[in-house]
Amino acid sequence: MSAPPEASLPLEAAVLWLALLAPPLLGLVAWRFPPRRMLLVLLAGASLPLATLWLLHRVASGGLLEGTWSPGGLVLHWRLDGLAGLLLLLTQLLLLASAAHAVGHRRATALDERAFAGFWPLLGGLATALGLIWVAADLLTLYAALELMGLTAVGMMLLPGTGDALVAGMRYLLYALVGSLAWLLGVALLLGATGRLDLAGLEATTEPGAVTGIAMALLAAGLLLKAAIFPLHGWLVPVHASAFTPVSALHGALVVKASFFILIQLWQRLVPEAVAAAWLLGGLGTLAILWGGLQAWRASELKQVVAWSTVGQLGYLMLAFPLLAGTSAAVATLAWQATWLQLAGHALAKAAMFMAAGNLVLSVGQSRLADLAGTSRQLPLSLMTFGLASVTLMGLPPSAGFTAKWLLLQAAILAGQWPWVIVLVAGTLLTAAYVFRVFRCAFVEDAPRHDFRPLPAGMDLIALLLALASLALGLGAEWPLALLREGGLP
Amino acid sequence: MSLSGELLPAGLLVILPAACLLDRYLPRACLAFIAFALLMALAWWRLGAPWLALAEAVLGALLTGMALFHGLGSLGSRSRLPSRDHETRPRHQAIARWLAALAWLALAAGAIWGLLGAGELSVPSEVMRRPLLIAGLAIMVMGLWAFAHHHHLLRRLLAFNVLGSGVFLLLIGLAGQLVEVQGLILVGLVVALVGSVLGAVLLRRLHALDGRVTLDGGAGDDR
Repeated sequence: MSAPPEASLPLEAAVLWLALLAPPLLGLVAWRFPPRRMLLVLLAGASLPLATLWLLHRVASGGLLEGTWSPGGLVLHWRLDGLAGLLLLLTQLLLLASAAHAVGHRRATALDERAFAGFWPLLGGLATALGLIWVAADLLTLYAALELMGLTAVGMMLLPGTGDALVAGMRYLLYALVGSLAWLLGVALLLGATGRLDLAGLEATTEPGAVTGIAMALLAAGLLLKAAIFPLHGWLVPVHASAFTPVSALHGALVVKASFFILIQLWQRLVPEAVAAAWLLGGLGTLAILWGGLQAWRASELKQVVAWSTVGQLGYLMLAFPLLAGTSAAVATLAWQATWLQLAGHALAKAAMFMAAGNLVLSVGQSRLADLAGTSRQLPLSLMTFGLASVTLMGLPPSAGFTAKWLLLQAAILAGQWPWVIVLVAGTLLTAAYVFRVFRCAFVEDAPRHDFRPLPAGMDLIALLLALASLALGLGAEWPLALLREGGLP
Repeated sequence: MSLSGELLPAGLLVILPAACLLDRYLPRACLAFIAFALLMALAWWRLGAPWLALAEAVLGALLTGMALFHGLGSLGSRSRLPSRDHETRPRHQAIARWLAALAWLALAAGAIWGLLGAGELSVPSEVMRRPLLIAGLAIMVMGLWAFAHHHHLLRRLLAFNVLGSGVFLLLIGLAGQLVEVQGLILVGLVVALVGSVLGAVLLRRLHALDGRVTLDGGAGDDR
């Protein structure tokens, strides 16, 4: 981890902060003048991923970028390494896609323009919050960003205004708030023990012991609750099932993973050697994979299938903890790459899947699986997108999910941690089971239905592009993995 | 600061949230919360954090209080919530919540015990640390109990706010008056306010939709 203090750093810092803070401004503009065309939204936001690409180029050539800023006597830290840059890029692409999808969604559902306008500033706030989480390097910034993310996400969940959405949003709000208090208590313990909040300082000064362990346990509890990891996942499915499609797509793709990202960063710095606790997290991940898959297979509504599949797929990320704790460098590298590839692949595929599912539901006008009968003829494109996205979720080649699971498998075998091999196989079979259940319903031919609502072509196109991106990420995984290697393990 | 000068506010700091969380008559419970928030502001003032005191008074007492009363529908509205809470939580739901709350408490108490016992605290004790920690723990216990036990959404919002205040007191008790502590508490106050406002607005809309004041916890309701 070398950090050359470059002379050109101010320019990069300025670009980064501009990229982080521009979305709320764009959101406010869109709130005042709601966009009606997808292309307009894409053009307005296209400069953000370009800026991030440039930053990534700088990171690849010059190494880690980092710095501090000090509002009112505080010293806050930020750092941009390959991983943070890639996540920022992924975030911006997905936000752009869901912003464009939202335009089409509003048009197709004929929602009132003013009623939907609240979506835009919330989306901008969410973009900033996620960006801050990727680059923050102290617990105070992380806390503020985590809360901004949670509150904007709750706000977006409430947009439909139906009874279901309100109840689900209220439950989410209460859980998110209590989760953040558990996090704050953990921070209080760390601050009391070390007197510091910056991650690098904490890594250097914390000693393994009961207090660090308890602080990490509290931090982890708060984050697991926000990440909807297995026993704490109860709030996720109703929230996803009742929210607008672009919102649940973003939420399943990015928001729950931001909490996971924070958790693994803290874990690697504070308690990297806690093998038993890491196995506990791996066990939770296993239960998540099995339970999520089973529930997705049993769900009766399409959006519920997708939401339960998120619960299951998040479990794969948790397998990183036992494979990183106290294993050889080769295993750790494999697991580290697999985790981020799985995260990115799942983010793209889940967003595509939610959009495809949302398009199907919107077209058919019904949300039950049984009502999908006949869609194979009428809506082949949406269904194909759903299928392409499932390729990644199942982990079939060639997809990011396949590469990620392949790397995980190698890591598990190399480390001799055989339980995870069985989990990976079982998870794949379960995923195949619920995906094919959807297709079985869609390919029922003897349903005399002809009243499918036409959707703007862009809505299907965006979902298809995201699904294709999740496949392309599997084929072209070398570039992001090389960038990850630059940064190395934390 | 003499001991007796600290005991009275510390005692009130524990009695007021108890009154707030035990009262089934909701307007009185909200008033008790506002008084508690004002007392918290006084505590920040006494601890040498005037800006935090101001923030607590404005965000914690004034605005959160207004949000809570808005949730009740007392500020000139037609769809008022019933001002008494008649809800009781079905017994079978409570077990997981209680386990979670107890685990939380055991962790917090254990860590504080460990930090105090081993003298590992990084910041030397320049304030009366023990009363703060005891008051913080007591308030947190009450908040956790109420959050796990209550069914009525407004009372759960109150419980969350009280729980947050307990955590803030523990934070300043553990880490002293560092500027980082004040930053964390300030963010926490803003979050609690926004959360309370959102919660109150939601509660009003839920009540207006189908007259409910609870979440009707289903099977997936595990905390």
